[in-house]
Amino acid sequence: MIGTTPHPGLPSTDNCSEVLAFFEGRTAILTANTDYLEKLLAQCSLGNRRAFETLYRSVAPRLYSVALRCMGRSDLAEEVVQESFVRIWHNASRYDAHLSAPLTWMITITRNQAIDQLRKHRELPLSDLQQDAVADDSPGAHEQLHSAREARALNQCLERLEGMQRQSITSAYFHGLSASELAQQLAAPLGSVKSWIRRGMERLRRCLES
Amino acid sequence: MNYQTPELRRALAADYAIGLMPPTARRRFEHLLQDDAALRTELASWQAHLTLLTEPLIEQPVADHVWHAIVARIEPQKLHVPARRSFWTWLRLSAVACSLLIAVTAGLLYNHDSVQYKATLLSGTAQPGLRIEAHADYLKVQPLKLAALDAGRSLELWAIPVEGKPVSLGLVPRDGGGRIVLSQRQQQLIKVPVVLAVSLEPQGGSPTGQPTGPVLYQGPLAAL
Repeated sequence: MIGTTPHPGLPSTDNCSEVLAFFEGRTAILTANTDYLEKLLAQCSLGNRRAFETLYRSVAPRLYSVALRCMGRSDLAEEVVQESFVRIWHNASRYDAHLSAPLTWMITITRNQAIDQLRKHRELPLSDLQQDAVADDSPGAHEQLHSAREARALNQCLERLEGMQRQSITSAYFHGLSASELAQQLAAPLGSVKSWIRRGMERLRRCLES
Repeated sequence: MNYQTPELRRALAADYAIGLMPPTARRRFEHLLQDDAALRTELASWQAHLTLLTEPLIEQPVADHVWHAIVARIEPQKLHVPARRSFWTWLRLSAVACSLLIAVTAGLLYNHDSVQYKATLLSGTAQPGLRIEAHADYLKVQPLKLAALDAGRSLELWAIPVEGKPVSLGLVPRDGGGRIVLSQRQQQLIKVPVVLAVSLEPQGGSPTGQPTGPVLYQGPLAAL
């Protein structure tokens, strides 16, 4: 799972400034370390701006990739990242380590920001942007995306989903399409789309938990 | 709707997490989340699984202007002061400053009960909810914009030290404004950097001694 791999090179110190110094410039390692991100969030909740900047340097490229996947345009994705970090700063003290990993929490904030924006845009007629975005979720695009990285549990689990289940879930997740919008896009009955998503999510979860 | 069967709760949390709910159902679910820790856990579990969908994405460099824009958003606004002032403006300002100085000095001499620390607690959408001034042995609470409180509920104020568990400072007065008297231990606690938070609790405060409901407002307590 994301963010749970412990890193052997991590100093076992509670002193934040030492940890900060240790990690400067090592962004690739950072995103894999839950404890470290938790400490940074705790410091942010106390108003520590340096910790916030370190947090930004560590996770912004990751959150930007999520925003870009959702929005499909760099300028819109940058706005989403900006809004997400303002929220992370103001809400750091609400982060609950028992409930979710820090990266999960931050990605969820980013994704929610992105689909809120997309939903606002969508009150206007569907633009080319969204048309492209939906087309992008075809299995072909997905295979390409996945081939870039080594196969993981998720790949296997996603592959076990039927094409329509997978397409519905990724479109709903990254583009915030409602079931009726998806039904329109996929030219499928509303009931089918809902059951693809619900069954698909259950299968995904059972597969990942097994 | 019946939210008690585990299957239904799980299915609703899934619908909410992926975004299948229409806006009214979404708001209703968010309302339920406030009081239902198990439902929050169920939702967090779905969110964790869905987050895995982002794992294959390749990290992308972010343009510098994004960070600058964030800093501008979280820093207090700077006042725009005109570059030049006339002699008469300076004279007037000096007079005002002198009288203020006299008033403040007199006030300090007259009243030792001065404010030592201050905090403005913000809601989840960064709206100022209440202002808190720490005096020697009490807190002065001033509501700015508080959400309406159901009967049978109380707002409880907590101090959260850097290392350690939240410590209750007492209940926020029912109408939002007023004083919270501090014990010796509580007075010591707020002398070091702490975050103040207000959580939604059953009437009379948390039964466990730790926050049980959602945090509605929070902010760091800063020295003046």
